[in-house]
Amino acid sequence: MIDKIRFASFASFAVILSAGCASTVTMEMPTIPEPRMDKIPVDVAVRMPAEFEHYVHVEEVLGKDTWTIDLGRSNASFFTQLFDHMFDSLIVLGPDDDPRDFQFDALIEPTIEGFEFSVPSQSQSEAFAVWIRYRMSIFDSIGNRASSWTVSAYGKSEKEGLGGSDSLRRAAVLAMRDAAALIIMQMEKATNIRQLADGPLDTGDTSPVEMQADASTSPESEEPASVIGIFVIGGIDDAAE
Amino acid sequence: MPLSKFLIAGATLCLTGCVTAHVEDDRETTTGLAEGESIVIMAKSYHQGNETEADYITCIESALESGSKGIKVVPHQQFVDELFPWFEPRTAPADTKGLPALMQRPGVAAAVKDLGVRYIVWLDGDTERVAEGGSLSCAAGPGGGGCFGFAWWQNDADYDASVWDLIDYESAGTVSTDVSGTSFLPALVIPIPLIARTQTRACKGLAQQLRAFIVQ
Repeated sequence: MIDKIRFASFASFAVILSAGCASTVTMEMPTIPEPRMDKIPVDVAVRMPAEFEHYVHVEEVLGKDTWTIDLGRSNASFFTQLFDHMFDSLIVLGPDDDPRDFQFDALIEPTIEGFEFSVPSQSQSEAFAVWIRYRMSIFDSIGNRASSWTVSAYGKSEKEGLGGSDSLRRAAVLAMRDAAALIIMQMEKATNIRQLADGPLDTGDTSPVEMQADASTSPESEEPASVIGIFVIGGIDDAAE
Repeated sequence: MPLSKFLIAGATLCLTGCVTAHVEDDRETTTGLAEGESIVIMAKSYHQGNETEADYITCIESALESGSKGIKVVPHQQFVDELFPWFEPRTAPADTKGLPALMQRPGVAAAVKDLGVRYIVWLDGDTERVAEGGSLSCAAGPGGGGCFGFAWWQNDADYDASVWDLIDYESAGTVSTDVSGTSFLPALVIPIPLIARTQTRACKGLAQQLRAFIVQ
């Protein structure tokens, strides 16, 4: 009997130890509040890439702890909510849908270019941080590329509880909200998407616009310089500081 | 005083560490809250390097609302959601100069009016461990266990609260608190923690002074 108890205790201890080396965080569907803005008068279609249906990021931290972040459909849900709030009308296309079967002024194709995070043991702080870099490719109604825009977002949440899963999840949600704020503030200026409501591009005299969100601020920007940050994956360089 | 009460009071005194607190305010304009008006407590953005703890904000909110002289506080997450995206960490105004332009944005002034928010209080600061020392060791064996030694640590809680008036679009002033607390952990078989509740003291002190500052 004593041997059994000893074995059970030892097994429990081993399970606890092994559980401490791998953490899995599953994202819940983020909720993007309805923004205080006028809708942009453009009929938009958004084509979700296949990876948005089940995006999983796995990373080994400092060569020992393995973190798995399962974003699931959260990105598809995020962009559907955001663009529904931002534009007059929205059609959501799946990866296999043919855009020619639908009517719209502009087609937006978001993709994830980078996802990174840091845990307290890496940053020597009490916070989890998440960086997400999205690329927004925008096409006119006949498939000409109108612009390509990079949005780099950041979220940070202080450590709560023992595992930190909730904190990392919250940091990811904050990064998504950060991306939403950037897209709402800068998308029109960065991509000229409003012009696509007047019809497809005249490809004879235009070239696609390549922009990077918050990498630069135009002098005539209506946003005060203090609220525009400069972000790169793997670090922060905030212009406000 | 009965002996039992004396012992309880003595034990309570013994089980807390040493705390020194300093609270002050710097007023720029007159303040006051009318019937139905409220305030919101916000943390300055982490994009500006601020690390005010979420539980400190919650503590200030609760302390301001409690009691017969409590003032109405709108939960900060509700305020941020209602005014999305203009009070996100990246987009929140850095100073009062941006308030008039912010209020011109679609629906912002109406949302602030609906919530009844008269003042935004921006918290800046955190609680940090600034010193520690001593040594404590514990051992356990088949016959039992115990600890022996002495450890101590000092926490500093340093917070500033800037009060913005959303009607006059100006800064009403600042209230700041600086609390230092030293905790001790002597152990002779059983460890006896003498904990200095530094952050709690900073919360109570700042909330009390903030309430006096806003209501006058």
